[in-house]
Amino acid sequence: MATTLAPETPDSPKTGDRTPVFSVRDMWKVFGPKADRVPGSPDAELSAADLRARTGCTAAVRDVSFDVEPGEVFVVMGLSGSGKSTLVRCLTRLIEPTSGTLKIDGEDVMAMDKARLRDLRRHRAAMVFQHFGLLPHRSVLDNIAYGLEIQGMGKAERRAKAAEMVEKVGLTGLERRRPGQLSGGQQQRVGLARALAVDPEVLLFDEPFSALDPLIRRDMQEEVIRLHHEERRTMVFITHDLSEALRLGDRIMLMRDGGIVQIGTPEEIVGSPADEYVRDFVRDVPREQVLTVRRAMRPAKSDEEDGGPALTPGTTVADAIEAVARSGGPARVVDGGRCLGVVDHACLLSVVAGLDGKEAAAA
Amino acid sequence: MSATTTRSRTDPDTAPSADNTAAAEARPSLLRTLVSSPTVRKLAVLAVIAAVLIPLAHAKWAGAGWPHALTVDVSGPLEKSSDWILDNRDSHWIFLYFFGHISQAIITGVRVVYIALLALGWAGVTAGLTLLAWRVAGVRVAVTTLVSLAVCGVLGMWVPTMQTLALMAVAVTASVVIGGLLGLAGGLSELAFRVLRPVLDTMQVLPAFAYLLPVVMIFGNGVPGAVLATVIYAAPPMARLTALGLRGADAGVLEAVASLGATWRQRLLSARFPLARKELLLGINQTIMMALSMAVIASVIGGGGLGDRVYQALSSVDVGKALAAGLPIVLLAVVMDRTIGVAGERLGAPPAEGGSRLLRGWPAWAGVAVITAVITVAGRLSGSQTWPGGLTVAIEGPVNQFKEWIVDHIYTGVPVVGGTAEWAANYLKWVLDPLREGLQGIPWYGILLIVAALAWLIGTWATALTATAAMAAIGVLGVWEPSMDTLSQVLAAVVVTLVLGFAIGIWAARSARLERMLRPVLDVCQTMPQFVYLIPVVALFDVGRAPAAAAAIVYALPAVIRITAQGIRNVDPSALESARSLGATQGQQLRQVQLPLARPALLLAVNQGVVLVLAVVVIGGLVGSGALGYDVLFGLAQGDLATGLVAGVAIVCLGLMLDRVTQPTARRDRKGA
Repeated sequence: MATTLAPETPDSPKTGDRTPVFSVRDMWKVFGPKADRVPGSPDAELSAADLRARTGCTAAVRDVSFDVEPGEVFVVMGLSGSGKSTLVRCLTRLIEPTSGTLKIDGEDVMAMDKARLRDLRRHRAAMVFQHFGLLPHRSVLDNIAYGLEIQGMGKAERRAKAAEMVEKVGLTGLERRRPGQLSGGQQQRVGLARALAVDPEVLLFDEPFSALDPLIRRDMQEEVIRLHHEERRTMVFITHDLSEALRLGDRIMLMRDGGIVQIGTPEEIVGSPADEYVRDFVRDVPREQVLTVRRAMRPAKSDEEDGGPALTPGTTVADAIEAVARSGGPARVVDGGRCLGVVDHACLLSVVAGLDGKEAAAA
Repeated sequence: MSATTTRSRTDPDTAPSADNTAAAEARPSLLRTLVSSPTVRKLAVLAVIAAVLIPLAHAKWAGAGWPHALTVDVSGPLEKSSDWILDNRDSHWIFLYFFGHISQAIITGVRVVYIALLALGWAGVTAGLTLLAWRVAGVRVAVTTLVSLAVCGVLGMWVPTMQTLALMAVAVTASVVIGGLLGLAGGLSELAFRVLRPVLDTMQVLPAFAYLLPVVMIFGNGVPGAVLATVIYAAPPMARLTALGLRGADAGVLEAVASLGATWRQRLLSARFPLARKELLLGINQTIMMALSMAVIASVIGGGGLGDRVYQALSSVDVGKALAAGLPIVLLAVVMDRTIGVAGERLGAPPAEGGSRLLRGWPAWAGVAVITAVITVAGRLSGSQTWPGGLTVAIEGPVNQFKEWIVDHIYTGVPVVGGTAEWAANYLKWVLDPLREGLQGIPWYGILLIVAALAWLIGTWATALTATAAMAAIGVLGVWEPSMDTLSQVLAAVVVTLVLGFAIGIWAARSARLERMLRPVLDVCQTMPQFVYLIPVVALFDVGRAPAAAAAIVYALPAVIRITAQGIRNVDPSALESARSLGATQGQQLRQVQLPLARPALLLAVNQGVVLVLAVVVIGGLVGSGALGYDVLFGLAQGDLATGLVAGVAIVCLGLMLDRVTQPTARRDRKGA
């Protein structure tokens, strides 16, 4: 029940012909003296500590390549200091990348001049910040309208637009307050509304809910999920919270020390950790709530293809356990009328027990 | 040199060695800690330097005061240049086309404001300012304004008050504009900030008196010089606070603004300035306060207005007259400070909901204008432009009678406690004179060494160098004796200030009731111009060095009390709690937790105390405290710029030295880099 948003099935038709919203290749961001010399040099292979000792530089982002597809929620996850916040700032060049290529809708961002870049920030990518970044001297309404004001929109028009956003994020009645008079959650709603007001193509979230209380955080996550359902806007979401990543992400990119450790759906990350680091990371995740029956099922024996409850391949193992427990027998995994396989007690339990890798296949 | 080695050898021996092995282990480590302690190392270096240089210096230039051979007589060239300026003031192009224009602009500005104030008449000015205060800061401040202006009128000081207001208006406007622009540069450019900061910091610690002479040299006595000296004195806080405010803007907000695609100008106007508005307002407030105190001091060089009245009254020791002129100054300061303070508090708050629409926005402003105009016209029709003579009360007589009464009753011969005159005499005899003789008796290199040691222990070698160089400059200029005199007055007053200030501050930090009682008093005291304090002390202590010391103590005390109390109250409560949970007594808590943790605040209090005391001790020249302050006054009064300028430079050097000796440099936090 926790995952109100079922992760999109891993092989949902990936429209290969659509250009990705963001296309990042070989991106580096190195802080320090003569930072531009590091990428491509032998020093680039050094560990963080060695690099700092040798050159005095810190590589916040190391040789990162990924695509963000239109309409997806792309989560970048890592512990603090893993470079994720730097990375998301590089996407609109709030922080200038040291090297690499960066395209938005196929257009080279690195080649943009100041005016083009401003245009990109004004209309195409809006950002929501961990510490909100609201202007304390302006009312809620004027804060939300601020992005439009910067674009040069007239006062009446931008206020009308902002009033719409107030309603959308559920702040009705608080328009005239100052940010200082709002709770953290409300302030972040203002931040979200300000980003939405400019109707950007992609929303960038930089740990937006880390500063909030757990219950408020959950509310805000639902809000984001709802917005995503309504508008299908592309989102890049930075977080250090694994459960948040699993809840929101269509795909998750796990970072460590500036580099990518693994990119995949929540199910792939939990089910097939790329290395020990990831395995350690996801150890405490309730697997049955993330993994689906597609991963748990075994080929159906001939006598099982008709009987028992039918499940879609995207059903979580937790839900399947309930169905199997009720019926007492194996359940069928059906996709478009075709039976792909069955799950029984043994399959489901092996998922919960974490034996669904090689051991399960061997059994 | 020898001090460190003997200490490291004797200390372990004197330590109680109950456990022999432990003592044996402790010995080398103690030695190492002593050697590695920066204090000891610095002292050792100084000791070596002293051991080499002092015999040399002593052999060559023995004796107490600064050796005559090492002075440079600058009076010749100074007189020559001042003569040159006097000769060329009306002919040379730099005066005609540069200083002349500045001077003319200032005169025009002050005159325009003054004529405008006169045209409004007393009724118009009173109504206009009261309504302005009401719009900006609410009813209470408006009432304060009304009463204050009425008092100015009743005291018969309406015209000088208007003169001072006109001078202030021009000086403050110029200070805010110039300071704001400098601050803008410093806030936006790292390079400009690095250049500006030390200059501004230094300018803030210099006594106002020091700025008068160079201005007089170029502009002569009169309004332009007075305004310019005021601007030079009052602009630095504006520049400093503007720069700090702009630089201190929340980086997260600026980033968010950038992420929305704001241009440089949009960022500046819609984010940076509004985010810094508290600092900007504080800057304006400080500028006004400093301008007010300088506008009074500037009367010495012909600023006119209220300051002139105080100055005249003080020179004839007429306390009643001085009070009548001093009171309006205090009232002006309080009104302006309150108005801006409340306006600042309101800025942060959301606009008030409710209330009549007519009381908000432009209709209200229009109403203010209309009412002012109506009252102005009514005032004109009723005849009197300046405050009507029938409405004044002469307080000089009663005040002077009161003063006589004081002189009769507590000045001298009071049983047991003695009168103020006895206090003053005792202070002179037992504190000031021995101290002065001591300072003048110490060999000059000894003083240099003490200064170097103090500055180095508390700061870096650079501060030590600055302080020592400043001190040496005083000697080179040939004003060693009067400087030691001034220094002795400063030191004695500082000690008294600190003893009283720390005691009251600590007490106030521990007693909420005392703190509540003190707060309004401190608020008023801190807004008062330094000059004002000279008036009552003359009544109590007559003229001389004692009243100057008393005024300095009273002037510096509020700041010291406030900083001390705040520092102690801001001590981490959890540290205090843990001490209490361990069973520490009140005294232990204070000695072992509160005072050590409040050390930075206490050091700041010392620094502030020294700077403020120096400012007043120097002005004390006006009430006969002699020394450097008198030299400056003498130079100004007699047109003897050489004497005055040299004394002014000595004051600057003294200020620099005292500030450096008491100002701990913030240690760079490597961790944060």
